Amino acid sequence: MSADVRILAAEPGCHLFGDNGCGFSAPTTGMFFPTPWYENIPGSAGIDLHLLLLLVAVGATLLLWSWFSKKLSLVPGRRQGIGEMLILFIRDQIARPTMGAKGDKFLPLLTTLFTFILLMNFTGLIPGMLPVNSNLAFPAMLAVFVYVLTLVIGMRNQGGWGYIRNQIFPAGMPKPIYVLVTPIEILSVFVIRPVTHALRLFATMFAGSLLLAVFAYGGWYMLNLGAPAALAAASAVFSGAALIGYIVFFVFEIVIMLVQAFIFTLLAGLYLNDSLEAAH
Amino acid sequence: MLLELAADDNILRIDWVKFTFGAIALAVVWFFVGRKAVPKVMAVLDERHDAIEGGIERAKRAEAEAEEIRQQYREKLEEAHREYAQELEKAKEQRAAIIAEAREEAQAEASRILEAAKAQIEADRQQAMAQLRGEVGALATDLAGRIVGETLTDTAAQTRVVDRFLQELEQDGNVQRAEVR
Repeated sequence: MSADVRILAAEPGCHLFGDNGCGFSAPTTGMFFPTPWYENIPGSAGIDLHLLLLLVAVGATLLLWSWFSKKLSLVPGRRQGIGEMLILFIRDQIARPTMGAKGDKFLPLLTTLFTFILLMNFTGLIPGMLPVNSNLAFPAMLAVFVYVLTLVIGMRNQGGWGYIRNQIFPAGMPKPIYVLVTPIEILSVFVIRPVTHALRLFATMFAGSLLLAVFAYGGWYMLNLGAPAALAAASAVFSGAALIGYIVFFVFEIVIMLVQAFIFTLLAGLYLNDSLEAAH
Repeated sequence: MLLELAADDNILRIDWVKFTFGAIALAVVWFFVGRKAVPKVMAVLDERHDAIEGGIERAKRAEAEAEEIRQQYREKLEEAHREYAQELEKAKEQRAAIIAEAREEAQAEASRILEAAKAQIEADRQQAMAQLRGEVGALATDLAGRIVGETLTDTAAQTRVVDRFLQELEQDGNVQRAEVR
């Protein structure tokens, strides 16, 4: 059961040039709140499609990595080569640029984050499904995880107050400037950072799937082969244009999913770097 | 129904159930991927890195070893050449010495033989002289006897006797000379 199908089913037979006179109802944020299968949980929407898709993402991540890591040999085959390429990509594009050689220690974490987030996004590519990260709870969970991790590692490496001091009093500034800078830094590092970290991923996934849904719904709405011949032809042309738009944005969406997974992981690397040593 | 839901639901609301399940999911993924699979692949990467580095190291070592052996070989070859030249020099000297010695010996031998021959000749000559002297005496006596024995009336006969004697003498002398020689 998918969100699209349910919503389409809400207004059956409503098409362009239709005789029942109904207009196009664009997909709303409602599509991100699928009917829960079990809802008797206080303070929660209950068990719904998002959790099933989360399960799919977890399964896909585990399968992918068990596939990458089975029967490893010094002379890698194509399968092992892809896994290694992924790790080396994370190392050379994220861990090393953000943290230097110390970043190698965080390579398993960053690789896990990247693959997991990517596959959580990719559930949106299944027709009628949503990216797991289009529900704020999941990006928030990931951002909180990274946030707590940076605090713990930072305080372990630089001392409790040391880490906070290094974060809110950037070195090398004239003393009076701190009056201005320190509140900004406090807000920036301890509030804005984790919030934007989560919101960026959520918003892109949310907007992306909404956009795809508009093209899908619009294309379906405009297709009315039951109308008089000329109108039916026009509806087919409109619908075809919507289909092309859908395909283009589908490909675009794949790129966005990749980029967002990459950015989330890159930012995690940057934040972790602040925990390793005092900012200069 | 849909519009109602949209009005009720705030997209920025963080659902604690989803948050919790998400955290559990991350923990599971972290355990199997971050702790197990990725380190396993990384270990192989490191191992291969080491193997390649080790291979280069080994190749360098082997090269150095080969260079050393070649150097040793070259030195040995040079030494052999030097020894050979020395031996050749020595052999030449020896040859010259042997030749000189042999020549000396041969000369000594030759002069010894020459001396012996000279002595022999001298001895033979002495012997011949002694014999000749005796025989000449005997012949003279013989001749005198004959001259005395014959009647010396006939001058012609006298002349014949002398001629015969001289002839005999000549013959004997030839024989004697031949012996001496």
